[in-house]
Amino acid sequence: MRQIQPRQNHLGISGWIWAGNYKLERYLYILHRVTGLGILLFLLIHLTMTTVFRIQGKDVWEATMNILHNPWFKFGEYLVVVALIYHALNGLRLILQELGFLMGKPIPPIYPYRDSLRKKRPWTMAMIGIILILCLVFFYDFIAGGW
Amino acid sequence: MDKEKNEQITFRIQRYNPEKNSQPHFQEFVVTSSRGMTVLDGLIYIKENLDSTLAFRTSCRMAICGSCGMLINNYPHLACHTQIEEFHSSRLTIKPLPNLTIIKDLVVDLAPFFETHKAIKPYILRHDGTEMDKPTAEFAQSPQSLEAFLQFTYCIKCGICISACPTSASDKLFTGPQALAQCYRYCADNRDEGEIERFPVVDTDHGVWHCHLAGACSDACPKGLDPALAIQLLKRRMVSQAIGLGKKEPPARIVPPPTQTKPKVPFPDFTVKGNK
Amino acid sequence: MRNTYLWFIQLVTGVLIAVLAGIHTVWMHLDAILGFFGVDVREATAWHSMIERSREAIWAGIYIALLVVVLYHGLNGLRNIILELTPSARTERIVTRAIIAFGIIIFIWSAYVPILLLST
Repeated sequence: MRQIQPRQNHLGISGWIWAGNYKLERYLYILHRVTGLGILLFLLIHLTMTTVFRIQGKDVWEATMNILHNPWFKFGEYLVVVALIYHALNGLRLILQELGFLMGKPIPPIYPYRDSLRKKRPWTMAMIGIILILCLVFFYDFIAGGW
Repeated sequence: MDKEKNEQITFRIQRYNPEKNSQPHFQEFVVTSSRGMTVLDGLIYIKENLDSTLAFRTSCRMAICGSCGMLINNYPHLACHTQIEEFHSSRLTIKPLPNLTIIKDLVVDLAPFFETHKAIKPYILRHDGTEMDKPTAEFAQSPQSLEAFLQFTYCIKCGICISACPTSASDKLFTGPQALAQCYRYCADNRDEGEIERFPVVDTDHGVWHCHLAGACSDACPKGLDPALAIQLLKRRMVSQAIGLGKKEPPARIVPPPTQTKPKVPFPDFTVKGNK
Repeated sequence: MRNTYLWFIQLVTGVLIAVLAGIHTVWMHLDAILGFFGVDVREATAWHSMIERSREAIWAGIYIALLVVVLYHGLNGLRNIILELTPSARTERIVTRAIIAFGIIIFIWSAYVPILLLST
């Protein structure tokens, strides 16, 4: 009787993005990951600009600044700031919840079940509210030309 | 759906026979369903009347054995615990649980899942070996101490949380929410002194720190266990042990059974006088 | 408990970045709001302002501290993502060493300029 190999059934990276009809926190997690990688990529470009273009003197610096005042670059910078705000505030929430502070206590499971992330959903909503307010503050600065 | 009116429900089931097919494919069956009928009832009807080669696991049909976990309309459920009516749809798509290898049709290989569960030492460990082998006394555990971990003892090892976890989707070596929640259940049990032995098992590169609080495991758990809470509380224990903060609770004392029994109380007289 | 320490420092550096990068972003961009609070930013991205800042030890200190914590936090995060995708012990050694080397190179390259400009 030949050996039958069981068929691999792992979702892979697509399982990070969509695996079924799950709730909010699963997508906050993948967005945290995407914003983190985006900020890391921006960091490498930013470090290049503030070192290589800075020690070459005033003219190179001012030429670079003029290129960066282009609206497309401004919009890209705004996206980076939004990513930074989201990653920072979601990260603060994750620090508190992963160390067990905003998660509540174990309760006897009586139907209908409410898990702790669901019960503490108001904190997540407050965090999203603060993120939106900060994004609006920076929106006026970047896109609408400053205060 | 009324008790009298029956609906025709289409079950679209993923079939895969490794001896015959090379790829999984879907097969449709039409089942007459009535009120209160579960998905498992539908599958048993199909196996008895329509196609007896359909393979799936089932045992208790009351959500206590954990055999019948499967993906129904893109969300993991226990088939015995899920009514057809709750989907409000006449088409059900049934697939085996993801993130576990498929053996045939809806049957998945749970052996690695159980091996990981065994690896975190799911039993009470105490320093006193002779007492564990030949117990002479009982542990003193108050109801408050029990409440600290009671919720996590209800695990039926169905594998649904592994299917929901996004980290398990890409990382085959991840310990998984079930094993991590059970690791916390034993570390938080004040009868247990084996925390130090369990931490190196979960402190690896594919252990507890690859949980990023997506919370899908708690969302999908059919017994309301909240493995996400257990894992975060486990992280709290590990951090407080690593940086030395937090008070250490002493383990539960051993209490010998009482040698003197209470005096016998006389049987009370009947209050209702019978016919004399 | 090696992974526990690494992750705990990830959390600590996360909080530090929230503070330091917050200062950096607000100083660079929100000049009107800071002006309302009485802080004069003096056109943060212009050349003269940048040269003045690069001479002050406080700003150089903030920038180098921000660089260190961001490099640790970001590269540790990247390492964890890569390890989630490639489960094998040999890959873990290669990836860890590559990321440490990359981090040291970037740090030396980027910290060189603020320290150099401090003495001009």
